[in-house]
Amino acid sequence: MAEVVLENICKTYGNNFHAIDQLNLSVKDGEFLILVGPSGCGKSTALRMIAGLEDVTSGSLRIGGIDVVDMPPKDRDIAMVFQSYALYPHMTVFENIGFSMRLAGKPKAERKKRVDEIAKTLQLTSLLDSKPANLSGGQRQRVAMGRAMVRAPAAFLMDEPLSNLDAKLRVQMRAEITRLQKQLGVTTIYVTHDQTEAMTMGDRVAVLKGGVLQQVDAPKRLYESPVNAFVAGFIGSPSMNLFEATLTGDELMSGALAIRLQDAAFVRRPGLRSYAGRKVVFGIRPEDLYDSSLESGRKYQTIPAKVTSIEELGSEQIVHLNIDAVRVDSGDPDAVQDFGLASNAVAKFEPVSTVRSGSEISLALDDAKLHFFDPETHLAI
Amino acid sequence: MTRQKRSHHKLKRAVAPYLYLSPSLLIIGLLMLLPMVTVIAYSFQNSAVLRRDPSFAGLKHYQAIFDDPVFWASLWHTLYFTCMSVIFHMTIGMVFALMLNSDRINPALRNILRVLYILPWLFTAVIIAVIWRLLLEPNGVVNSILMQIGIIGSKVEWFSSPETALHAVTFANIWAGYPLFMVSLLAGLQGIPKDFYEAADIDGAKAYQKLIFITIPQLMPIIISISLLDFIWTMQVFPLIWITTGGGPIYSTEVLSTYTYKLAFSSYNLSQASASAVVILLISLGLTLFYIRYQKAR
Repeated sequence: MAEVVLENICKTYGNNFHAIDQLNLSVKDGEFLILVGPSGCGKSTALRMIAGLEDVTSGSLRIGGIDVVDMPPKDRDIAMVFQSYALYPHMTVFENIGFSMRLAGKPKAERKKRVDEIAKTLQLTSLLDSKPANLSGGQRQRVAMGRAMVRAPAAFLMDEPLSNLDAKLRVQMRAEITRLQKQLGVTTIYVTHDQTEAMTMGDRVAVLKGGVLQQVDAPKRLYESPVNAFVAGFIGSPSMNLFEATLTGDELMSGALAIRLQDAAFVRRPGLRSYAGRKVVFGIRPEDLYDSSLESGRKYQTIPAKVTSIEELGSEQIVHLNIDAVRVDSGDPDAVQDFGLASNAVAKFEPVSTVRSGSEISLALDDAKLHFFDPETHLAI
Repeated sequence: MTRQKRSHHKLKRAVAPYLYLSPSLLIIGLLMLLPMVTVIAYSFQNSAVLRRDPSFAGLKHYQAIFDDPVFWASLWHTLYFTCMSVIFHMTIGMVFALMLNSDRINPALRNILRVLYILPWLFTAVIIAVIWRLLLEPNGVVNSILMQIGIIGSKVEWFSSPETALHAVTFANIWAGYPLFMVSLLAGLQGIPKDFYEAADIDGAKAYQKLIFITIPQLMPIIISISLLDFIWTMQVFPLIWITTGGGPIYSTEVLSTYTYKLAFSSYNLSQASASAVVILLISLGLTLFYIRYQKAR
């Protein structure tokens, strides 16, 4: 087990494309860190650099206190689980798991003992003679885990290992990987673009955008105190609603829309006063918007909104709305398609809500849950 | 739908596939099956083709060719020529495919090499035979180079000496045939996921271990299929040997195809030639059945 430290890591490709720019990250011994971000943000590149599968253009990379920048992958004492699992189709489960030991010239008896041990942990004992083609997605995933575990490495690197599984199995494997990581206590860096995985699995989450680290924090802090509009928009599903408004006195004004702010809002964010008379970006999560006709929404102030469409999920309703405010793009390239032309906001209502598509409603909002960002820099105020 | 209409519809559905296949089945029957059956029939007749009413000869012609030492020499030469060709086609094809697939070689150079390596495939057997006759003639380029670098002391008559002729024609055939393997294996190599090699790198595999444990097993279906096809095709090679050596000197490059040809068109012993052709057919058939069974098993 070991600490993984990245200092000023840069990765530039031949065409001068900066995949990673000055990445500083320290993963503590035994920690489960999630690297998350939209497509093309450089998260897989960062992981592959740690593995030694990509060269580091500049910066320092230490695993267990040893600088590994110039070391080949095999000497870094890491194990990796690939998105495709990279299981050898011509080998059995036993041969796949024991492959690294075979390469290292370990005796067959020793290999068998270790592989049996791993197979027992992963409930693969009955499948040891099967070929990967005869396994289900979840079983293949476990074999890939077994192949990584067999070496007892200093760190596990996982590159979107659940993305090939169906939604139900993904939930199950999410819990299983988290349990295994806790049981083994091995430093783990896990790449995903799925923010649900990010929020549920890791001790800490590092959010990347365009090769630049945005924020590293515990999932709850990331959700409650995003450092900028991008993190605010990326973490949470559906995304946080972000709008531009003018701060007039203690009110946010945009068209016919007026939201009164409590004194507490200014106490928590002393910088907010300096935006008086200026534009500001405010954000509110879908779960902090309520149907004012229900008990849960009665205590909050309301704004007018038009319902454009409703997604009934059984346990809740995702309500697409149009409010009189200019929506702000958080900069998440994967989230742009979330909004249809007719709506600019999303709310999560209780299943008992009776709002109908096309109706004008009073939308209740919990103003204590508002987030504020600078309109130029998009940094949190 | 009435019962009668339904059964008529069923019959139409059952017959339709055979109707679609019938033109090709007819052509195959006329151009392949009929000659094959005729040759088999000739091999059991005396003075086949030459006489209007040939008599039944039983296994006499088979007995005759099995008693002929030239037939056994031809069979041995065919096996040597075929086995060496297939082994070297595969080895050279694999080495060149690995080179062309390597990202350590400059892409521009790789494209040039790809064209150069594939060149032998563009020549017909006649041209290959002429090229190698010119290159390997006593006053040719090969002798000149080998003498200059001191490998041979005097001019070697590659195609005219019984000691070297079989090796020389085999060499020419190897040169002409490796591109099929190279192209097939290159396509196979490009289909092996990069992840396999990256996972092996992390697991500590050396280059030769990656070749043994990943590349070759992944290419095995292609290697077996192409080797079997190459074996069948090489066994039947005729023009290259006929033009370079004609089966000589003193039968030293006689293979089953030239042996059969000579029986038919030099000795006009068409019955014995047919018996020899049937022996070739049986060997090829055995290999083909093996190939089909392998393909089915996959």
